[in-house]
Amino acid sequence: MTIKLKKRLTNLAFLLPALLLFGTMVVLPFISGAKISFTDWDGFSEVYNFVGMKNYLKIFKDPTIGEPIKNSLFFTAVTVIGNNLFGLLLAMALKKNTRVNRIFRTFVFMPFIISLVLTGFIWSYIYSDVFYELLGIKSLLGNKKTVMLGICIMGMWRDIGYAMLIYLAGLNAISDTYYEAAEIDGAGPFTKFRYVTLPMIAPAMTINITLFLGWGLKVFDYAMTVTHGGPGRASETFALYVYNYTFPYNKAGYGQAAAIVMMAAIVVITGIVTFFLRRREVDL
Amino acid sequence: MTKRKITGPKPVIFFLLKLTVIMFFIAPFYISIVYAVKSPEETIKTGLAFPTGIYWENFTEAVRVSNFFSAAKNSVIVTAACVLILMVVCTMAAYVIARNLKSRLYSGMYYFFLAAIMLPFQVVMMPLYVQLKNMGLLNTRIGLILTISGFQTAYNIFVYVGFIRTIPVEMEEAAYIDGAGKFYTFWKIVFPLMKPIISSTLVLNALTVWNDFTTSLIIAQRPEVRTIPLTQYFFFGEYNIELNMAFAAFVMAMIPIIILYLLMQKYIIGGVMAGAVKG
Repeated sequence: MTIKLKKRLTNLAFLLPALLLFGTMVVLPFISGAKISFTDWDGFSEVYNFVGMKNYLKIFKDPTIGEPIKNSLFFTAVTVIGNNLFGLLLAMALKKNTRVNRIFRTFVFMPFIISLVLTGFIWSYIYSDVFYELLGIKSLLGNKKTVMLGICIMGMWRDIGYAMLIYLAGLNAISDTYYEAAEIDGAGPFTKFRYVTLPMIAPAMTINITLFLGWGLKVFDYAMTVTHGGPGRASETFALYVYNYTFPYNKAGYGQAAAIVMMAAIVVITGIVTFFLRRREVDL
Repeated sequence: MTKRKITGPKPVIFFLLKLTVIMFFIAPFYISIVYAVKSPEETIKTGLAFPTGIYWENFTEAVRVSNFFSAAKNSVIVTAACVLILMVVCTMAAYVIARNLKSRLYSGMYYFFLAAIMLPFQVVMMPLYVQLKNMGLLNTRIGLILTISGFQTAYNIFVYVGFIRTIPVEMEEAAYIDGAGKFYTFWKIVFPLMKPIISSTLVLNALTVWNDFTTSLIIAQRPEVRTIPLTQYFFFGEYNIELNMAFAAFVMAMIPIIILYLLMQKYIIGGVMAGAVKG
C-alpha cells in the first residue's frame, strides 16, 4: 500500500461517519424530494403520476398564496429591523462591564434559551389573560389585523438578546483611541456614532441581518403551535403553508414543490442581501 | 485622561430607563412563576402580586396530565445522544477538512456544508418521513436522534473547521515525525486543544436539540417518544388548560434549561459568538 493511498483511506475514515449521517438524513431525502415535487403524490398511496412542472406552475397561480408570503415577509421585516435596532441600543446601553450591566445582559438574553413553543404559549396566555385583565387590551392573536404583530413581539422578545450579544462583541472590539481622536476633532455623540461606531460594527450588523433574515423567512413554530395560522389564514406563514399541503391536506407533491420554491426564495433573498451588506461594509 | 465624576440626575434617569426595558424581558418569567405557584382563587384575588405560598397541586396536576416525566426522559436521551454524536462525528470530519483546505475536493466539501446550513427543514421533511418509515425508524428515539444530528452536522463542521484553522500545525507535524498515527494525533493532541470550542458548541447544540419542535413534529409524534416541546404542543392543543396549571407546566419545562443557562452562561455566549452564521 502506498503512503498516499493510506493517507487517503485514513482521511476517509475520519470523514465517513459525518458523510454517512449527512448523506442519509439530508442529501438522500433532498434528492427524493426533488423527484416528489414533479408528481401528484398524496403522501401515502402506492401509485402516483409524474406531472412535470405542473405543481410549480400551480404555486404561482394559487390565489391563496399571497397571504402566507405577505405574512412571512412581514415577520421577517419587523424582526430583522426590531432585533437589530433594539439589540444595538441595548448593547450600547449595557456596554460598560459593570455588575449591574452584567446582570441586565443575563436577563435580556434569557428568553433566547427557551423553546419557540414555550415562548408562543407563554405569550398567548399573557396576551389573553394578563393583558386583558390588567390593561383591557384584547389579545393581539385573536384579531386578523394584529395577529402577525403579536407573533412578531414574541419573536423579538426571544431574539433581541441574541442580537445584543453579537453587537456587544462588535462594540468591545472598537479601540477607545478612535473615540478619543474623534473627540479631539470636536465630534459630538451623534457624529461619533455615525463615523466611528457604525462603520466599526458593520460586520456585526451583517451577521445579525442575515441571521434573522434566514430565521424570519423560515418562521413556523409560533404560527403552528399558537395560532394554527388563524384567525382564518391571517397568520399562516409560508413554512406553515408548505406543512399544511404536505401533511394535513395530503398533497405531498404540491407541498414538496412549494418547499423547493421556499428554499430557492431563501437562497436568493439572503444571497442578494449578503452581497449588498458586504459591499456596504467596505464603503462605510 | 482624567475620570469625570458623575453627578446629577442623569445617570439615575438612565438607570431607571434601562430597568424599565429589562422589565419587558423578565416580566414573562415573573408572570409564569407567580401564576404557577398560585391557586385559581388566589389568582383572582391578588392577580400578579407576589405569591404568599406555593400551591403544589398545579405542579402535580400538570405532571400527571402532560405526562411530564416521560417527556423529560425522552428529551434528556435525545439531547444527550445528539450532542455526543455531533461532538465525535463532526470534530473528526472537520479536522480532515480543515487540514486539507488547499485541495479542491475538501474545500468543495467545506462550501457544500456551508451552503447546507441555509437549507430549510421543510424541503426534506416529507421524503425523510417516508425514508424513516421504510427503515422502521419513524416514531422512535433513534430516528429522531439521527435526523436532528444529521441536520446539525453542516453547522457543526463549519464552526469546528473555523477553529481548527487557528490551531498551528507544528505540534501535529512533530507527532507524525515521532511516528504517531493520525487517530492518535487527533484524539491526543488536536481534540484536547479544541476544548473551548467543543464546550461552547456542545451547550449550543444541547439548546437546539432540547428546544427542537419542527423535526420532532414530523419524526416522533407517538406519545411514548414525545419530547417536552412536542408534549406541550399536544397538551395545549388537545385540552383547554386551566391557567395556573398551564403556567406550572411552563415553569417545569423552563427550570432545567434556565439552570443550565445560569451555570453555563459563559459557554452559551461563546457558542453564539463562534457560530454567528447559524441558519
